[in-house]
Amino acid sequence: MKGYRKYFTKKIVWFLITLVAAVILNFVLPRMMPGDPVAIIVGRVAAGVNDSSSTQAIYESYQRDFGLDKPVIQQFFIYVKNLFQGNFGKSFSRYPTPVSDIIKSALPWTIGLQFPAIITGWILGNILGALAAYIRKGFDKVLMPVTLFLGGFPAFGMAVILLSVFAINLGMLPVQGGYPAGMIPSFSWTFFTGIIKHYHLPFWSIVLISIGGQSLGMRSMSIYELNADYVKYSRYMGIKDRKIVGYVFRNAMLPQITGLALSIGTMIGGALVAEIIFSYPGLGTTLLRGIRESDYPLIGASTLIITIMVLVTVFLLDIIYGLIDPRVKAAQYE
Amino acid sequence: MGKVILEVNHLSTKYITRFGEGVYAVNDVSFKVEEGRSLGIAGESGCGKSTLALSLMGYYFAPLHYIKGDIIIDGSNISNRHPDDVRKNVLGNEIAYIPQAAMNALNPTQRIIRFIEDVIRAHNPKATKGDIYDLARERFEILNLPADTLQKHAVELSGGMKQRTVIAVSTILSPKILIADEPSSALDVTSQKMVIKMIHDLMELGYIKSMIFITHELPLLYNVTDDIMVMYAGQIVERGSADQMIFDPLHPYSKGLMGSIIVPEDGTRDVKLTAIPGTPPNLKKPPDGCRFAPRCKYVKPQCKTASVPFEELCDGRGSRCIIPETELREAYRNEQ
Repeated sequence: MKGYRKYFTKKIVWFLITLVAAVILNFVLPRMMPGDPVAIIVGRVAAGVNDSSSTQAIYESYQRDFGLDKPVIQQFFIYVKNLFQGNFGKSFSRYPTPVSDIIKSALPWTIGLQFPAIITGWILGNILGALAAYIRKGFDKVLMPVTLFLGGFPAFGMAVILLSVFAINLGMLPVQGGYPAGMIPSFSWTFFTGIIKHYHLPFWSIVLISIGGQSLGMRSMSIYELNADYVKYSRYMGIKDRKIVGYVFRNAMLPQITGLALSIGTMIGGALVAEIIFSYPGLGTTLLRGIRESDYPLIGASTLIITIMVLVTVFLLDIIYGLIDPRVKAAQYE
Repeated sequence: MGKVILEVNHLSTKYITRFGEGVYAVNDVSFKVEEGRSLGIAGESGCGKSTLALSLMGYYFAPLHYIKGDIIIDGSNISNRHPDDVRKNVLGNEIAYIPQAAMNALNPTQRIIRFIEDVIRAHNPKATKGDIYDLARERFEILNLPADTLQKHAVELSGGMKQRTVIAVSTILSPKILIADEPSSALDVTSQKMVIKMIHDLMELGYIKSMIFITHELPLLYNVTDDIMVMYAGQIVERGSADQMIFDPLHPYSKGLMGSIIVPEDGTRDVKLTAIPGTPPNLKKPPDGCRFAPRCKYVKPQCKTASVPFEELCDGRGSRCIIPETELREAYRNEQ
C-alpha cells in the first residue's frame, strides 16, 4: 500500500495545483470581459435620475458594495476568503439575491442530469464497442457507421434534432424546462412524473453522443486485446470463451477510464449546451444568463463549480484507475 | 518400445486468410511419441513448426482450420470429438501448451493464482479455492518457484520467472504430453537453463509423460530431446534420434540445416559453415513434387514432378527424399 499512498499524494498535489489555477482564472477572466456591469445596474436603478452627481453617488455606492473600489489584488484575496465561506457574492442581475442561492437551486439539476447521462453513455458505449469487437460481422458493420455518426455530432446538434423530432413533430415529450411549467416544485407524484418526462430529451441527447465516442474507442481496444497472447494461451488452457471475454473486457476498459477522465471536461461542456437548448434549469442555463447580463459573480461561481466538478471527477477516476490496474501500482514501487 | 503417448496420422491443417485463401502450413504430418521420450521439432521460420504445435491441440479457431488426420493421445482419438469436449477434457488435462511468447501469455491485470483457479475450474467447476491454492502452492514449491509468485501479477515478474510460471501453470493438471513452442528463445542462457531443467524435472517427477520441444536452435535441441524431427514447408522431411540428426543427417535439407549451425563439439573450429540458398516456398501454392527441390543441391528431374512419400529407413529413422540413401551418402562424401 506504500506505493499507492505515494500515487495518491501525488494526485492530490496535482489536484490542488489545478484548483488554485482554476480559481485564479475564474477571478481574472470575467474581469477581462468588455462592458461595465455596475454601469448597467446603475443605468437600470437610476433610470429617472437626471442629476449626474447623484448617478455618480449611486455608482460609487454599488462599487463599494461589490468591492470594486479596492485594488484588484485585494479584491482577489477577499474573493478567496469568501470562497472558503461558500460566499460567491451577490448577483448583479438579480441584485441582491446571493449567487450561492442561485447556484444551489441549479446544481442538483445539473448533477442529476449529467452524471447519470454520461455514465450511462459510457457504459452502453463500452458494452456495444466490446460486442462489436467480439461478434464482428454484421453487428460491427452496422454499429460502426452508426456510432461514427453519433460520435461526430456536436452536443447542441443532437439536442436540436431530438427536440425537433420528439418534442415538436411527434409531440411526445415536452419542449423545454426541467418540470411542468406553472407547477411549484414539491414531492408529489405528478410533479415527479413531470420531471421524468422533461428528463428524457436532454438525457438521451447526452447519452447518444457519449455512446458514439466511447464505443469506437472500446471497439479498437477490444480488438487489440482479443489478439493478445494471453487470450490465445487461455484458450489453449481450456478456459471458456465467456471467461476470456471477461478478461478482455476488463483490460480494454482500463484505457477507457483514462479516456473518460480526459474527455469528461468536453462532455460536461457539451451537456451544458444541451441544458441551454432545453432550457433545463441547471448550471448551463444559469451560466448563459450570467454571460448575457454581465453578471460577474454568477459567471465566476458557475464556471468555478463546473471546474470543480470536472476536477473532482478526474481525480476520482485517477484514484480508481490506480486501484484497479496493477501495472500502475507496480510502477509506483520503482 | 515404450507405450505410445501421442500418435499423429496424416494431420493436415490450414490457415484461411482474410481474403479467403488457404495457407497449407501443416501437410500430411505423421509421427509418434513414446512415454518418457521427448521429441524436438526444428526448421526455419515459417516452416510450420508453431502451427503444428497448435494443430496438435485438437482445438481449432480462426484463422486455423482442421483439414484431415488423427491425433491419438494415449489410445484415444481427439480429432473427431466435439470442440467443447476437447476444451473441457483434453486441453490442459491430456495435452498442454507453452506458447512461443510466454512473456505476454499471462493476463497483465490478473493475479497468477486467479488464473490458475480459472484454469482448474474450466475442467473441474467444483474445485474449491482452498484445494486449488494447496495444489498450486505445492507444485510451485516442487518446481523451485517461490510460493508468493502466486499472489503476484505478471507485470511484477521477470522474463525468466514469467516463463517458468507459465510452464508451471500449463502443467498444473499433469497433462500426458507437453508441447513447448520455443519456450526459451527469448531468454538469456541462465534462464534458458532453468527453463530446460524445469521441463526435465516435470518429466522426472512424472507430471508430464512426454514432451515435444519446438525451436530453431538446433544445438539446444541436441541437449534437450531424445529425437529430432525436421520440418520444411509444412512437411516433415526427416526424423531420427538426436545423435543421428545432428551428426549424420540424411535428407539434403537437414544436411543443409545442420551445416549452417555450430555444434559445440570437438572439431567445431575446423568446420566451415554453409548456408542454404534460396527461400522457402509460398505455402499458399506449394510446388509440385518435392517441396525442397527448388533449393536442393542434389536435385534430379523427377524431384520436381513425382510425389515424394515419407519413407521409414533402418534404425527408426525416416526421410522424405526419392534419391536413394546410398547415392546421397556418396554425394556427401565426395563433397568433403
